[in-house]
Amino acid sequence: MEITDFSQPIRQSTKGIIVIFAFNLVTFIKKFFVLFIAFGVSIFRNKSIGNITPTMVVLALIAVLITILIIAILKYLNFKFHIHNDDFHLATGIINKDNTIIPKSKIQNVYIKQNFLQQIINVVSVKIETAGDKKSEIEISALDKPTALLLKKKLFNRATSTSGEPEPKDALKEPEVFFKVTPKRLFLEGLSQNHFKSFLLIFTFSFGLYSEFKDFLKELELEKHVEGMVELDEATILRLIITNVIIVVGVVLISFLFSIVKTFIINFNLEVVEHQKTVEINKGLFNKVSLSLTPSRIQNLVITTNRIKQYFGLHTLSVKQAMVNVKQQKNFNIVALEKEQLNYLVNKLISNYNENQGELAKPKPYYMRISALEMLVFGSVINGLSLAIFGIEMLWINTVFIPLAALYIYFAYKKAYYKISENFVTIGSGVIDTTTNILEIHKIQGVKLKQTIFQKPRDIASLVISTASKSVTIPYISKQEALTIYNFLLYKVESQDRDWM
Amino acid sequence: MNFTNPQIQTEDLPNIEDVVLKPISKSYLKIITLNRLAFYSLILGAVFGLKYLIKEDGFQDNFWLVFIGVIVICIANFIISILAFKKRKYAVRGYDVIYAKGLIIHSIITVPISRIQHVEESRSWLARHLGLSTLKIFTAGEAGSDLSIKGLQHLEAKGINDFISAKVNGNN
Repeated sequence: MEITDFSQPIRQSTKGIIVIFAFNLVTFIKKFFVLFIAFGVSIFRNKSIGNITPTMVVLALIAVLITILIIAILKYLNFKFHIHNDDFHLATGIINKDNTIIPKSKIQNVYIKQNFLQQIINVVSVKIETAGDKKSEIEISALDKPTALLLKKKLFNRATSTSGEPEPKDALKEPEVFFKVTPKRLFLEGLSQNHFKSFLLIFTFSFGLYSEFKDFLKELELEKHVEGMVELDEATILRLIITNVIIVVGVVLISFLFSIVKTFIINFNLEVVEHQKTVEINKGLFNKVSLSLTPSRIQNLVITTNRIKQYFGLHTLSVKQAMVNVKQQKNFNIVALEKEQLNYLVNKLISNYNENQGELAKPKPYYMRISALEMLVFGSVINGLSLAIFGIEMLWINTVFIPLAALYIYFAYKKAYYKISENFVTIGSGVIDTTTNILEIHKIQGVKLKQTIFQKPRDIASLVISTASKSVTIPYISKQEALTIYNFLLYKVESQDRDWM
Repeated sequence: MNFTNPQIQTEDLPNIEDVVLKPISKSYLKIITLNRLAFYSLILGAVFGLKYLIKEDGFQDNFWLVFIGVIVICIANFIISILAFKKRKYAVRGYDVIYAKGLIIHSIITVPISRIQHVEESRSWLARHLGLSTLKIFTAGEAGSDLSIKGLQHLEAKGINDFISAKVNGNN
C-alpha cells in the first residue's frame, strides 16, 4: 500500500485478511470448544454416531474454516477508512453497513498494537479510542508500520493544535527516548511485587484443578495408600512435615516466578519517549503496544511503590483516562521508574505539579477505630471458619493474626494523608503498597460528602472526589474541614471555565 | 499583562451549608410505601413458600419465630425508609446541582453544571399517576458522580431539566 494520503477511502493491508481470519477462528473455537471436544471424542471412539462418520466431521470442519475465511475476506473488502476535514470516517459491515465518524478533537487515544501473529506477518493494528463506552472503539487490524505511524500522527496533529496555540512542528525537537527499562530493573520489579495476588491466583488454580480431578484421584485409590502411610510413627510425621514445607516453599517460589515472568511479558522493552506535547509508551513481548498520552486527556495519576521497591528505587506510575476499560487500563502503567524520572514525568503530564505544595493533613484517629472494627469482623470470620473446620486447636492462628492486624491498622493510618493545593488534590493511602493519587482540580466531575449516623455525634465525615476515571476518598476528617474543602473544590471548578478534557 | 491573583479566603467562598435544600414532593412517600409493601409481601410470600418446601421438624417448629423475625426486620426497614424520606433534599444553584439523601449514611453530592453530559427525565407508571418524575443527571465520571433525583414534581423536574440543558448547551 503506497498511498500515504488518507483523503480517499482505503482498505487496510491485504494481510488484514489473515489477521481477521485468525481472530474469527479463535473466537469461534473459544465459543464451541467444549462442544468440539465432547463431540469429537465420542465420534472417534465409536467410529460413528448415527450416520455421521469421521470423514464427514472433517469435511464439516473444512466447510466451517472456508466459511470463516470467506467472512474474513468480505469483512476486509467492506472495511474502508479515510480522513476528511477534521473527522475520521470508517465504513464497515457486510450486510448491515455501518458508517462511523469520529471528530479528531474527541479522540482520546490512538494505540498501535502488535500481537504475536501480527509480529510474524509484520503488520500492526491501530486502535482509536474515544471517551465513550467500549462500543465506540475502532480497530484497524492490519496496517504496515509507516502507514500506521502516519495515520496516528494525522489523527493527533489536528486534535492537539485546536486546543492550543498554533504549534511548531513536532519534528523541530527530535523525540527522545526518555526512559528505557533494563532487564535487571524489570527483574527487581517482578521480585518486589505484591505476591499475595499471584499466590492467591495459583492457589485457586491448583485448588480448582484438585477439585476437578478429585474423582480421578479417588479412582487411583490414593486414599488407601495414604491410609497405609498414616500409621503414626515419628518418621512418617517428620516426612509429612517435610512434604508440607516443600509444598509451601514450592508455591511461594512459583508465585515469585509467576510475578517475574508476568512482569517481563507485559513490560518487555518498556520505553518512554518524550515528544513535544505528548509522552509515548512502548512495551510488550507477545503483545507489543505503543500509545501516546496527551496531558489534557489524563484524569488521575496514581503512583505506587512499597518498602522493598523504595529501597531499589522502583516506582510505578499509572495514568488514568476517562472510561478506559480495565484491560486497557493496565497498558497505562509505567513500571520501574527512578524517583527523579518519576517526578519529571509527573511534571510533564500535569504541569506545575509540586510535591511540596499545599499543607499535608491527616485523617482523624477515628480512621484507626474503623480499621480495627474491620479487622475485628474479618478476624471473627476467620476464627469462626477455622473453629468450624479444624476445631478448637486452630485458635493459635490468632497469635499470627492479631499482630498482623495491628500492623495493618498502624500502617493504614500512617500512610493516609491528603494535600489540597491551588490546583491539585493529592491523596496518600495504602497498607503494603504506598499509593499516591494525584488529580487536577479542574478535572473534578462531582464531590460527595458522606457521613454515617455514628459519625455524626463525633463530627466526622468523608469526602469522595470523582473524576471521569475514578473516585478517590479522603476518609474520616472533621466535618468542618470536609466542608471547607468541599466549598473550595466547587469554587475552583465552577469559577474557572476550564474543560475537563 | 492584565493578570491578578487575589488571595482566596476560604471562609468567604459560597458555602454549601448556607444553601436551603428543598425537600422532594410529599407524594413520593406513597411510591416508597407502595414499593416497600410490594417488596415485603414478596419476602413474606417466600417465607411461606419455604414452609411448604422444607419439611424438617426443626424448621416447622420454629416457623413462627422465623416469621416474626422477618416481620420485625421489615418493619424496622420500613420505619428507616420513612425517616430517610425526610433526608431526600435537593437544590439547584447557578453553577451546580446538589442532592442530599440517606439516614444511616447521609451524603451530599454536588455536580457542577459545566460537567454535566446530559439530563434525563424519566417517569414510571406510578409516578405519572402522581404527577412526579425522576431527574437523572449524567456526568462523564464513573457511576460515582451521577445523580438521580427521585420524586420531583413533574413541572419542577421539567424546569430544572430545561435550565440545565440551556446552561450545558450555552457552554459549548
